[in-house]
Parts: sequence; structure tokens; C-alpha cells
Amino acid sequence: MLLIPAAEGGLPTLDLPGGGIGLGSTAMTDEAAGSGSPDPGRATADPERTARFERDALQYLDQLYGAAMRMTRNPADAEDLVQETYMKAFAAFDSFTDGTNLKAWLFRILTNTYINIYRKKQRQPYQSGSEDLTDWQLHEVESHDSRGLRSAEAEALDRLADVDVVEALAKVPEDFRMAVYLADVEGFSYKEIAEIMDTPVGTVMSRLHRGRKLLRELLQDYAIERGLIPAEASAGGDES
Amino acid sequence: MSCGQPHETDCSEVLSMVYDFLDGEIDAQEHARIAQHLDECDPCLRQYGLEQAVKALVHRSCACEHAPERLRVQIVTRIRQISITYRSTGD
Repeated sequence: MLLIPAAEGGLPTLDLPGGGIGLGSTAMTDEAAGSGSPDPGRATADPERTARFERDALQYLDQLYGAAMRMTRNPADAEDLVQETYMKAFAAFDSFTDGTNLKAWLFRILTNTYINIYRKKQRQPYQSGSEDLTDWQLHEVESHDSRGLRSAEAEALDRLADVDVVEALAKVPEDFRMAVYLADVEGFSYKEIAEIMDTPVGTVMSRLHRGRKLLRELLQDYAIERGLIPAEASAGGDES
Repeated sequence: MSCGQPHETDCSEVLSMVYDFLDGEIDAQEHARIAQHLDECDPCLRQYGLEQAVKALVHRSCACEHAPERLRVQIVTRIRQISITYRSTGD
């Protein structure tokens, strides 16, 4: 459990501002995208603004939750993360410029919140240095490429169960995983991903490149395990 | 990886741009150039097909996530609570 133990089951908790806003007092001092330290008071007292926030921002709930699931890899933490993201977004809603990309803005707050929480809690090492894959990972990928690939393999991958794909994706280092997720699931452009992850576009491209290669390798392993690809064929056989 | 045939665009260039092509990150002219190469070159087309399959697979497997209803309720409740509290204690 990440933050708010009451998130599972039962009645919703009615946290009052200044009282029990989960990790509010600590994590909310960090950069919500575009704002310094959001004050949930002044900016949010306007009922019209509240209604607008509910209408415009809450439509992305499922998508933010999906991304949070890929980040935290468990439902309880994902719920906490999304809830905290919305609280921060609500507090900073004044700094959001109408007509700009609300979805990307929310995803950026989600990403920041996740990084801040995990860095603070140190529940797991944050893989900020994951630009550098270990030698064996790269070796695996490169040697696989040189074997050549068949379109039958693309078809075999397509028959993989969703749970296998989700599991494979969870094994990809975090920065790579999120770049792939934001591009392939949410359809964000490279430029938007760069803004969300607060990194240059070139880094986004390199994360996508490496993340996809690793994922493909993992998926091919699953496909072999499931008997969708004959092991000997993917180990370099040359059928034609 | 090459079919050994001469192409206007080199295979290595096409393969290096396969993700940009796939993600719609190149302009129409470049897009046409890559598409033409893929039409002519089986090995590149196979590689592209595999990348396309992985991208589609990720989308298919992850895109249907639904947040629990209680999460929506919690968020709305907290937001309204904040508003009400500040309106009643305001000034």
C-alpha cells in the first residue's frame, strides 16, 4: 500500500484539506506540472471551476489509472497514485491554460507524482539511469536481430494473451516501459511524451527504441513458452 | 538484413526510421519514401510487420483498463469537500 490505506473497499474516506490528504503535506510541495506549491484553497474555491475540473479532467480517469497500473504494477498503489494526481491537478488547475493539452498535462502530473512518491518512499529503486541497459540485455537484443525474423512470428505474437503482454511489459525498465506505453496505448506524440517525462525528444526516441526491442524479445520468449513459435525456429532455423 | 536488391532508399535507413514511420512522426514525403521501400523489400517489410504487431499488441492489451468506480467517487468527494470547506471558511 502506497499512501492511503482506506483506498480499498468500504466507503470513500472524506479527507479534509489540511487534515488527512494522504501524502499531501509532503508530496504536494513538489512540482505539479507548471505550478510551484499548489494551495488547494484559494485556487479551487470557485464552484464553476470545480464543475469544469470534474467535467474536463475526470474523463481521463480510466487512462490515468491504466498508466498508473503500468507504473506501480498493483491496483491499490495505482488508485492512490491517481487520486493524488487529481488532487494536485485540482490544486494547480488555475495554472492550466485553457485550450492547451489537458490530457498531457494530467499525465505529466501523474508522472511527477509517481517519481516523487517513489523517490521519497524509496520502496523500490527508481530507474532514472536506465538509459544504460546492462550488457546482457543489449547483447540479447542484438543477437536476436541478427537471426532474422519471420512474419509468422508477428502472427504468433498476435495470438499471445493480454496477460502475457502486460506481464512482459512490466519487466521492461520503467523509463522505457512508460515511453512505450504513452506512445502505443495513449498515442501521444514524441513531443508530448518529452513534455510528460520532462526529457528531450531524442531521449524519448531512444527509450522507445530500446523499450520496444526489449519488449519484442520478451514477447518472443513468451510465444516460445506458449508453443506459438517452435523453439528451434526462433533459435535460428532457416525455413523458407 | 537486406534483400540484396538496389533501392532508392537504403535498407539500413529504412530500418532506422521504422519507429518514426510507425508512430506517424515523419512528414508525408518521407512517409511515401519509406512506404515505397517497404513495398519493394520483403526483409524490411517483415521487420516492419513485427514492430507493428508489437505496437498493436501493447495497445490491445493495455487500452481497456477501467478505474474502479469507488476511485471516481473518492476523487469527486474530495474535490467537492475542498471547495466547500474553502468557501465556508473563506474570506
